[in-house]
Amino acid sequence: MTQERTLLAVFSDIDPAADALDQLRLMGVHDEHMNIISGIPVTEAMLGRPSQWTNVPRLALGGAAGGMLIGIFLAFISPNMYTIEVGGQPFTPVPPAVIVIFELTMLGMLLSTFLGVFLDSYFPSYRPMKYVPEISDGKIGILIEFPLPDEKKVTEVLKKLGAESVQYTEAQHL
Amino acid sequence: MAENKKHSEHSHKSHEDHLRETHLMLDPMPRGKMNEMVMESMHTTSWKFWAVFALLSVIVAWGLFYSWGRLILEGVGIAGVNRPSYWGIFLVNTVFWIGISHAGTFISAILRVFKAEFRRPFTRAAELMTTFGLVQAGFSIFMHMGRVWLSYWLFPIPNQRQLWPNFHSPLSWDLLAITTYLLSSTMYLFLPLIPDLAMARDRSTGWRKTFYKILALGFRGTEGEWTHLRNALNIFAFAIIPVMFSVHTIVSWDFAMATRPGWSSTIFGPYFVIGALHSGMGAVVMVLAVVRGTMKNMNYFIRPEHFEAIGKLMLIISMGWAYFFFNDYIVQWYGGDKWTKTLLHWHEAGPMGWMWFAMLIFNVAIPWAILWNKKWRSTPWLIFIVGLLINVGMWFERYIIVPISLSINRMPFTWRLYEPGIEIPLGIGTLAFFVLLYMAASKLIPLVPVWEVQEGHMDHSLKKFGRETVVTVSDLE
Repeated sequence: MTQERTLLAVFSDIDPAADALDQLRLMGVHDEHMNIISGIPVTEAMLGRPSQWTNVPRLALGGAAGGMLIGIFLAFISPNMYTIEVGGQPFTPVPPAVIVIFELTMLGMLLSTFLGVFLDSYFPSYRPMKYVPEISDGKIGILIEFPLPDEKKVTEVLKKLGAESVQYTEAQHL
Repeated sequence: MAENKKHSEHSHKSHEDHLRETHLMLDPMPRGKMNEMVMESMHTTSWKFWAVFALLSVIVAWGLFYSWGRLILEGVGIAGVNRPSYWGIFLVNTVFWIGISHAGTFISAILRVFKAEFRRPFTRAAELMTTFGLVQAGFSIFMHMGRVWLSYWLFPIPNQRQLWPNFHSPLSWDLLAITTYLLSSTMYLFLPLIPDLAMARDRSTGWRKTFYKILALGFRGTEGEWTHLRNALNIFAFAIIPVMFSVHTIVSWDFAMATRPGWSSTIFGPYFVIGALHSGMGAVVMVLAVVRGTMKNMNYFIRPEHFEAIGKLMLIISMGWAYFFFNDYIVQWYGGDKWTKTLLHWHEAGPMGWMWFAMLIFNVAIPWAILWNKKWRSTPWLIFIVGLLINVGMWFERYIIVPISLSINRMPFTWRLYEPGIEIPLGIGTLAFFVLLYMAASKLIPLVPVWEVQEGHMDHSLKKFGRETVVTVSDLE
């Protein structure tokens, strides 16, 4: 009999966590059924995990382009919308326009980078989630979501590899 | 022979112990313990804290809100600005606070880009200064504006007559640059704070739990969340540096774009930027010395090694400031323009000449005399005094550039020395408000980015090369 449950194994160090991930793969658990939660940024390379996809750099570029367009509008188009001749000065001089366009490009880029983190991470999210507070104490948690063929064996292997605790976890309010 | 070996081993051991004691990154503690220490520092509040807090609140109520109310009700006539000095302390303070705000970005972004490891425990303390400093700069501009309720005329929206603001004016550049910098630095403060807010959420109860839960946004530390955060922090670290440079350059162009003697200088941009860094770094050491001296457990995170490292930067920046100052001075002096020479003489030998000399003593002589010595620059109280004097010196510099330079022009019949009025309580009010905001924040958000410190602990180790034990750093970021 198999059922969908989430097992959370908590490790205090990177090496045993990486070993446990290797072992779980050997036992037939695919990477997409595992997720890592940690109190420090542990890179995919350290744990031998597939690279994470992020849209943040693309969104940043998009934001920069958007900001630049707004800058171009303000510097080159808005002065022509209601023209006032001032001392024979040009309506759309280039050097001051560079400043306006630069500031708005950077603002667009940084705003969209910030929003990109929210979009990609689904922030804010106040739904119940699978988590234990020990994670923010610097521990590394492996969340395993799969139909467990042999729960006992998996638990034993994880404990043998140095897991501080292995338990089924329910989503809860953080 | 055996005795020699024993002696050598003993001296190695004591050298290693010394390295661990000196360097935070070699003196790791369990993360849980560090979390506890940071939470304790936020929760432990003595009566002295509340006494200072109450005093500052009174000063803010009088200096900022009451005086500003008077300024609005009675008009800018009660300020000292008058012909020919239409720009006074309000703009001195604007430039000063924007300068202070440069330290956060310098420490957090530039040192992050260059992987300067000593930055780790105090990046947030510096970033907070950026955000709160910019708030004071914004207040000062609005005070200068007088009719503050019309400030929306500066924003890029057409007014009732369908006229757009003139984006080719340096004042519009100012608005864009300061707004960009304020928003960017606030976002840059918030992003690396999220994991620490999650840590605080996990360790709090009551209203604090709700507060941190809302701000932590549901952060758990998944691989995806860290990847997005790391990418964003990298983009911010690189992109906010040119924004930082642009802000103070544009502030300098408010002056340099005019053809006034003393202002029309092609070197004003970098001269202002280095001046901003000078006062900003001075303010950072002051804040760190106060935080270390008054907040519980902070002497573990902020150590003499940090003052030593910042002291070196301050010394280099002081030399840079002296170079730019002299460059600006000598070219104007050598040029021989009658009005410029009159102005330079007015700076040095006029009624406010003492300020010009004090500026040079505080910004150059004292930092050079003290910061060259490793022991002195590692002493928190001493470097606090140096930081304080640098800030006084930099405020004097801005005072000399703005109202004193304005009092001399090409029309001698208009010459008049600026005498501040309501600007003084308003200036004191903004300073008190900055400290008040900082004190409140120190009790609400973790001042030390604990996850960054732990990451630093993982990066660092001791390695033996022959008989020598040295610190090595691996590149985990």
